[in-house]
Parts: sequence; structure tokens; C-alpha cells
Amino acid sequence: MAALTSRFDVAAVMRRELAPRKRWQNFYGYLFLTPWLVGFLGLFIGPGITSLYLSLTKYDVLSPPIFIGFDNYVKMFTDDPQFWPSIGRTIYYAGVGVPLGVLGSMFLAILLNNKIRALPAYRTLFFMPTLVPIVASVVLWKWLLNDDFGVVNQALRSLGMADPPGWFGDRRWAIPSLIAMGLWQGIGGTRMIIFLAGLQGIPEELYDAASIDGASSWAKLWNVTIPLLTPTIFFNMILGIIGGLQTFTAAFVATEGGPGFATWFFSLHLYKQAFDYWNMGYAAALAWFFAVIIVSLTMWQMRLSTRWVFYYGG
Amino acid sequence: MTNQISRRAFLRGSLLVTGGLLAACAAPAAPASAPAASSGGEAAPAAAPAMEDILLRWDTFRSPGTGWNEERIDTFMQANPGVTIEFRPLAGSSQQDNYAKMYAAHAAGDLGEICAFDPSHFHFWRAINKNIIMPIDDLVAADATDLSEWYDLFMSLQYFQGKLYGLPSWGWAGFDTLVTNAAHFKAEGIEVPDVNARDVSMETIGEWAHRFYTEGERFGLNISHGEAGVVTLTRAFGGDLINEDGTQCTLVDNPQSVEALRWAYKLAVEDKVLPATGAIENVGAAQVEGKLTLNWGGSLNVRNYDRDIKAASADPAVAEAWQILLPTLPDGRFPSQLRGGTWNIRQASEHADVAYQFLKHIAGKEGSISFNLVSGNFAAVRPDTVQALIAENPIHEWFLSSLENGIAAHAPANSRGREYTDAVQQYTDLLMDPNQPVAFEEGLQNLQDNIQAVLDMDPA
Repeated sequence: MAALTSRFDVAAVMRRELAPRKRWQNFYGYLFLTPWLVGFLGLFIGPGITSLYLSLTKYDVLSPPIFIGFDNYVKMFTDDPQFWPSIGRTIYYAGVGVPLGVLGSMFLAILLNNKIRALPAYRTLFFMPTLVPIVASVVLWKWLLNDDFGVVNQALRSLGMADPPGWFGDRRWAIPSLIAMGLWQGIGGTRMIIFLAGLQGIPEELYDAASIDGASSWAKLWNVTIPLLTPTIFFNMILGIIGGLQTFTAAFVATEGGPGFATWFFSLHLYKQAFDYWNMGYAAALAWFFAVIIVSLTMWQMRLSTRWVFYYGG
Repeated sequence: MTNQISRRAFLRGSLLVTGGLLAACAAPAAPASAPAASSGGEAAPAAAPAMEDILLRWDTFRSPGTGWNEERIDTFMQANPGVTIEFRPLAGSSQQDNYAKMYAAHAAGDLGEICAFDPSHFHFWRAINKNIIMPIDDLVAADATDLSEWYDLFMSLQYFQGKLYGLPSWGWAGFDTLVTNAAHFKAEGIEVPDVNARDVSMETIGEWAHRFYTEGERFGLNISHGEAGVVTLTRAFGGDLINEDGTQCTLVDNPQSVEALRWAYKLAVEDKVLPATGAIENVGAAQVEGKLTLNWGGSLNVRNYDRDIKAASADPAVAEAWQILLPTLPDGRFPSQLRGGTWNIRQASEHADVAYQFLKHIAGKEGSISFNLVSGNFAAVRPDTVQALIAENPIHEWFLSSLENGIAAHAPANSRGREYTDAVQQYTDLLMDPNQPVAFEEGLQNLQDNIQAVLDMDPA
């Protein structure tokens, strides 16, 4: 009993002595957090709440907002000819572009994870398109894919294709053209770097064990590499889908939503409503609808991930 | 007693800091340019600026570097001691990009006293409806300004509901000409029409679109699907896109408008000799390279084409600048869409009389000449500037007729200009799509309905 009391006394003394230090640690912790917190509250939460209110108003920046209840939300579902088509185009873009991009990055990372000569040079080479500004990239791709004078169609014609695609100028090919441009720029970029990091985190002994068991390269890829990469795949999928659904710049620069609305994506529609047509209230409603969709989709993916994502040692 | 800072207390503190920061970011108060009015014979407070200390802020889309803004400010300030003009360039990538900043500045109470809400960008009418810019009729009358110094058609664009809201220092005739590569005509053995004659029929132009077309190598004719292009297309056949009031789309009910679009539809969709949307990334460059014979553009483009040929030292056998004007209409007018710029005074400007003098300084003869010369344009809106511009480049003489006898632009009455231009562009794309063709009547009706839907919207 005496020993026990003595032990409690020691703990109390230690707590007393550590308290000032802990207090200062907390103070510095919050102090260093302050810039982020100020930004979070002032530039994210504040505008977010404001935009939620504005989504219930008719507001054009130049006049005070007029409260109209849920009219903006009703309008988007019933009286906006570009609402549903723009969602369809966005899903098409993200639905095709993101899986291709994630798979492409993964297999490129697997290739570049091999011990081959001049490996840094290859990694640099594949990373370089990411460094090209998107506007420059658009100019380059529009030149490459020009319907009549472009290098690609000249090559296709010389190979005997009489009527090659019109690419950016053809409604059927405009989105595939943007996807191709996005893949060129994105496959070897940060996503590939993340996959490389994931690959290098796979314990070597698992491959050794598989080799001892006589596993082929394909079996190692299928049974070791891919399962242990699933957290990285999941992470890249989440970011890719969010980025894909938000696609804007390439369409804005390359096609301005055309031809004939072919690349009029949801984000472009939102931008047009806000900054070209000055329907800020309606644009805020579109933004909130979009935010809910993205958050829901992300949560749904998180739930699904328990079925296929494998955390080694976790 | 807790020895930690509570999260709640910390968040409360953060909110206070955030609020303080946001308050610090609030728009600065408008400059105290006006002296406090003295009453009862009392002198104005010592802190108030003297009568001659007037500060005017000039929000200009003309970026620094050309020297035009600076020269205009310096000469005005020299002639008006005590007046300071603050040069505030709007740094948008295009003039259209600047309006968002100007509207935001207005909402924040920080819009300059001198600004430009351009009729050719459809922001002029919105700025009037929203009480952003002020009528200047009284200032004109007090100054006895002779408004005939400017071309009538450009001045007509400065009015709204009978009131005058601005003075122009630049403008152009829209898509009033075919920018022509004369080298192709010579190579084909076709006599190039006189640059000032309007004796080439639309039928002949259609034939040339075929004649000069070589698949994969060259287009004979390019027609823009943008609003400015489609309007002049309909006017070239005697029709129009919307009525003068800006309330009705005049496509399907006007046989001439229908004829115009059917002519273009045949070339684009049935004959497939026109470039599809986006098929020519840079029309100017394509023409310099000899990949396009006739570009339906504006007279300004002819000047630029000539300049680019010289800059590229292009072989005269590949590119030679010329123009073919659109045929005269039965009523004697020339197919065009005069689009004028403007300089305006912000509502409630305290020194509107001084601001007006500055408006005249930048839209007057010298201001207008230098505006055009520094930018290499021919956007003449005053007859007294023409000779100076022609002296600078004789090709400018080609552009005069449309300025004198053209047709002014019509704008949507509800100030929905951007919705209008987007609707025209996108639904014309659909009508003229050679890859997924729609029946002409269906595409035309679709175009008509969607333009009318914009014109029927609530006022912006």
C-alpha cells in the first residue's frame, strides 16, 4: 500500500513538472496551426457558408441577393438544357479517362521500377509532360490533331485511312481528344511517382518467398504487387475521380465547350453561369450540388474499399 | 484548473483573427477627391483637399507598355494642374476578362471614375441597367461638344433609351470583308476583284469556296460560327439575326436569313468544303502559310494579314494580302456589324465634369489616332483621324466604306449578351456540323429557338 501511494505521488509530481512544458507545446502547436486555421475558416468555411446562402438567392454581384428558396435547385433539374448533358459528358470524361490514367500510371511505374540502365533518365522523360503548362499542351495537341493539316491525320491518311477523325473539331471525337491529351500529360506525372513510392514499399522478402515457391513474373505481379498496391490504387482513384469530375481548363482553353456543346462539362457550365452570365446564385446551387455528388461518391468509394483494398501489416 | 488552451477558446481566437484579416482586406475607401462643401461661409476643414486637388482613377483595358495610357495621362495632367489621373490597368488576358474585375470593383465601391463597358462586348447595356455608368448628355451640353466629330454609326452605339453614355475612341465594322489571299487568285488565273468594289456576288463566293479547296491542303473559304460572323452572314443576304430592338430572333421568319444559312449549310455540310469548328487553329497563320484563300473576317484582319505577311517575309507567290468586300444590299447599305468601343464615367463620380474632359482627351482626335497607332489597328471612329492612319499605312483606305455606310450591331434588350453569343456559337456549330449532320430545317429551328430563349430571359 505504501509502495502504491508512493508511486501515485511520483506520478503527481511528474504531471506537475511536465505541465508547463506541455502547455507551451500546445501553445506552439496551435500557433503554427494558426495560418492554416485562419485560411480554412476565412477562405473555405466562410465562403462555403456564404455560397450555400447564395444558392438560395437570385444574385448577380451588382444587386443585393434576393431570397428565392429552392428555385435554383428546381431550375437545375427541370429548366436548364445543359445541366443533365453536362453531367453526362463529365461522367464520360471521368469514367473513361480516370481508369485509363490510373492503370497507365501503375503499369508505367511497374516498368520503371525495374533495375534497368538509365532508369533516372526514363523516369525524367516520362515525368516531363507534367511540367508542360496546360495551355501550351493544348496548343501542341490541337496542332497534332488538326483535322486537315495535323500530323496525326496526315499520318493516318498516308496509311490509307480516307476519312480520319476530326478530333477537337468533331463532336464525337472532342472528348476522346481531351482524354488522350490528359493521359499524355497525366500518366507519367505525380500519379506515377506515387505508384513508384508504393512499389518501393513492398517488402522484398515477399518476392523472394514467391520465387522460392516457383511463382512466375505474372504470378508475382498478380498475387504480390497488385494486392499490396491496392491502397495506392485506391488513393489515386479517389484523387483521379475528383479531378476528372472537376475537369475544366483543357476544355476551356481547347474548345470553349464546343463544338456544339460537345465539351461543355459541368465545371465549365458552372463557370459560365458564374463569371460569364453573372447568375451567381444559380452557380452557387450548381456548385453545392456538385460538392454533394463528389463527397457522396468519395464516401461510397471508401465503403467499397473495405472489399478490395489490402493494407499489409494493417 | 486546466493547464491547456481549450480548443473552443483557440477557435474563437482564430475566428477573431480571421475576421480582422478579412476586415483589413475590405475595399479601401474611395479617394476623398471632392472638397468638403463649405456652408455658411465657413472655410472647408484644413484636412480636406484643396479645390484643385482632384484625383480620378482610370480603369483601362489598354495594358501598360504601349505608352498610350501614359501619354494621355501626362498630357492631360500638364494641361490641368491639380488634377491627378491614377492609371489602373486591368490585367485580363482579353478585354472580356476584365469585366469580372470591374463588376467586383463596383460591388466593392472601388471602380474607377473612368472606365469602359464596351457595347461590342454587350456589357454597355448591363452597366447602364445596373446604374454603374452615368449619362453624359448634360456634360456634352455644358461643354458644347460637337458630336458630329465621330462617325454617326459609332455614336449611335453610345446611346441607350435616348441618353448618351460614352464617347468612343475605337470601333470596327465587324465581319465586313473577305480577307483574301490574292496569290491564289493569280495562280488560278482569276482576276482579283478591286478592293473597294462590291461587285462579287455571294454565288461567286460560294463557287470560289469550291474552286480554291484542296482536300488536306487548303480551304477556299472560312466562315466563323461566332455571333459577329453569323450576323454579317445573314445581313449579306439582306436578313438579320435579331431585330433592332433585340427582342426577336429573325431567322426562320425571314427568307433572306434562311437563304443565308442555307448557303453556308450547303458549303459546310453538304459539300464539305468549309473547315469544321476548330479545324483551323490559327486562321491568320493558316492564311499566311497559304492554307486558306478567303477568310470571312473584318477589315482589321486585312491589315493584320498584310502585317503578318511582311513580318514572316512570306513568298508573294504564297500569300498576298487583299480584300473582297461583300455586295451592296438593295437598300444601299453595306453588310457589316459596326461594333464600337466606349469610354464611360462611373455613376456618382464627384468630378464628372473633369472626368468628361478626360473622356474627350482620350476619345478626341489625338487620343483616337494614338490609340490606333500604338496598337497597330485601324479602329477609326472619327473621320478626322483617317488621313493620319492612311499616311501610316495606305491599306487603311480600304476600310472606310463600311464605317460610313455600314449597319450597327443589335444587342439583346435584356443585356444577356454572353448567353446570346454562346447560344449563337454553339447552335451554329450544331447546324454546320459536317461530321454529324442535322437536317437544315431542324438545325435552323434549333438555332432560332435557343437564341429566342435567351432573348426571352429576365433582364440581366
